[in-house]
Amino acid sequence: MKTTNPQQRLLALISIPAFLFLVIPTAIVVPVALNDSRYITFPPEGISFAAVAGFFADRAWTSALTASLQSAAIAVVIGVLLGATAAIGLHGRKFPGQPAVVGLILAPMIVPTVVLALAFYQFFISIGMVGSIVPIGLAHAVIATPYVYLTTRASLAGLNPALVRSAQSLGAGPLAVLRHVYLPIILPGLISGALFAFSVSIDETVMSLFMQSPGATTLPVKMFTDIQFNLTPKIAVSSALLVSVATIGLLLQVMFVLKRRSSTRMLPLAVSAQT
Amino acid sequence: MSNATLERPRPRGRSAPGSAEAAPRRRRSGWWLLLAPILAFDVVLFLTPLGKLVGASFADNAYQRVLEDPLVVRALVNTLTISLASTIVTVVLGYIIAMVLWRAGTVTRVILFAVVLLPFWTGILVKNFAWAVLLQDNGIVNAFLQGIGLTGAPIPLLHNRFAVIVGMVHCLLPYAVFPIFSSLTSIDDRLGLAARSLGAREGSVFRRITLPLSMPGISAAGLLVFIISTGFFITPVVMGGPGDMMIANQIDYYARQLTDFSGAAALAVILTVMVSILVAVYQRVLKAGGQHEDN
Repeated sequence: MKTTNPQQRLLALISIPAFLFLVIPTAIVVPVALNDSRYITFPPEGISFAAVAGFFADRAWTSALTASLQSAAIAVVIGVLLGATAAIGLHGRKFPGQPAVVGLILAPMIVPTVVLALAFYQFFISIGMVGSIVPIGLAHAVIATPYVYLTTRASLAGLNPALVRSAQSLGAGPLAVLRHVYLPIILPGLISGALFAFSVSIDETVMSLFMQSPGATTLPVKMFTDIQFNLTPKIAVSSALLVSVATIGLLLQVMFVLKRRSSTRMLPLAVSAQT
Repeated sequence: MSNATLERPRPRGRSAPGSAEAAPRRRRSGWWLLLAPILAFDVVLFLTPLGKLVGASFADNAYQRVLEDPLVVRALVNTLTISLASTIVTVVLGYIIAMVLWRAGTVTRVILFAVVLLPFWTGILVKNFAWAVLLQDNGIVNAFLQGIGLTGAPIPLLHNRFAVIVGMVHCLLPYAVFPIFSSLTSIDDRLGLAARSLGAREGSVFRRITLPLSMPGISAAGLLVFIISTGFFITPVVMGGPGDMMIANQIDYYARQLTDFSGAAALAVILTVMVSILVAVYQRVLKAGGQHEDN
């Protein structure tokens, strides 16, 4: 579509502010973190790694980083195991109650995070499970699992069920079928889902805020608490770290988008925005 | 993304008639064992906490109590007005971006897609922090406004409703772009060519073909964005002032400041019911849109 009539140019012109609006906030984060100033300013006055060094010298921030990585690890491991087994278990099968099962699997995406945060807060207090990162990781796993299920299901769409039957008729046991038929096909979906799960957990703020304790304060919670008083260079470094992670995730995701069309299909489904 | 050039040709399991549907019933297979982990997990860690929440909401006359609280009424009004304003701005900007993506060549399209996805992959606090830096009194936006002589002194752009809406629109844009883009790509290009060959100007092609045929995408985007808007919690705190608190903030206030669990639970149930109704409408709109495309 290489037409350059006036209307096309007008569209391109009015779209520039819209694209700048999308890009500028994310683009300034890293320069702000490397700013050579005690104050938060943009454009930066000079390049300095002082704030980065300050961040990694501050126990409060490094333990927040550790807590975030721990919760993400729990969310990714549980999310991948449960999401993948569910997608394989439901592949090519119809049974009474199946819509209800799929509905239950996807439901955590639809419930507002603040509602889940309150529910988990009450629930984990009532069973006496407080003061560690584990309940936060489990809560993140609940909202991360549907993403893995969806990406795995999308990669299974290309699998002919006849392959499974051929493998079985040739004597493959259930584990051999999983290993040699399903695994190679779902692998891209699994990786994509694991990226989603990691990203959901590392950015999640509301549930982590409700369930925080001195030993279990994640990076976004620490940022949220500090940002209400002042914009500090350490918040800037933390933001830059998270943006770097997001950029890597995005680049990997774009690689999948180029290869597969199904992974973009599911994006609008992702109602569970981190608000 | 229904662009044929991006699709790798591959065999489709579903296309073999009969075989896909014949597969399900296999005798001695314990495939349901694969569903057991997720069902157990969701029952224990999703349904049980939510069930307890609903149970707690019926204690102490909670619904009547919260609905008589003027702060709650204000938060509900704020939620509706802020969500509506954010939705309108998001859908308009999203439409412009979707049009550009639709008209772009393959390479440009992939790059622009990455640009749209960037806020989607960035955490809410990072985005809000960046906006706070841009909009603060000595920030670049104020410097720009003073530079072009629009204002002599910095105008307060942060900690007000304007800032909340800016922050929310930035988070919401990807959710508007994708449904609109997919409805644009389902429009038959030949309609526009036919109209132009009959002498229609670009403006009337847009008004009488593109816009009406992308309405399913617009309504899906609007609903999806509005649904997500109603749950915002972080942005009103970071970007807004005391008068911009939304329903999610009120839930937090009841739970953690007042330690009134039943009140917080009642508010949470009210929010969930609101959202569930909207999600049901959203799914109907999606279905209606799908049928429309087939006609």
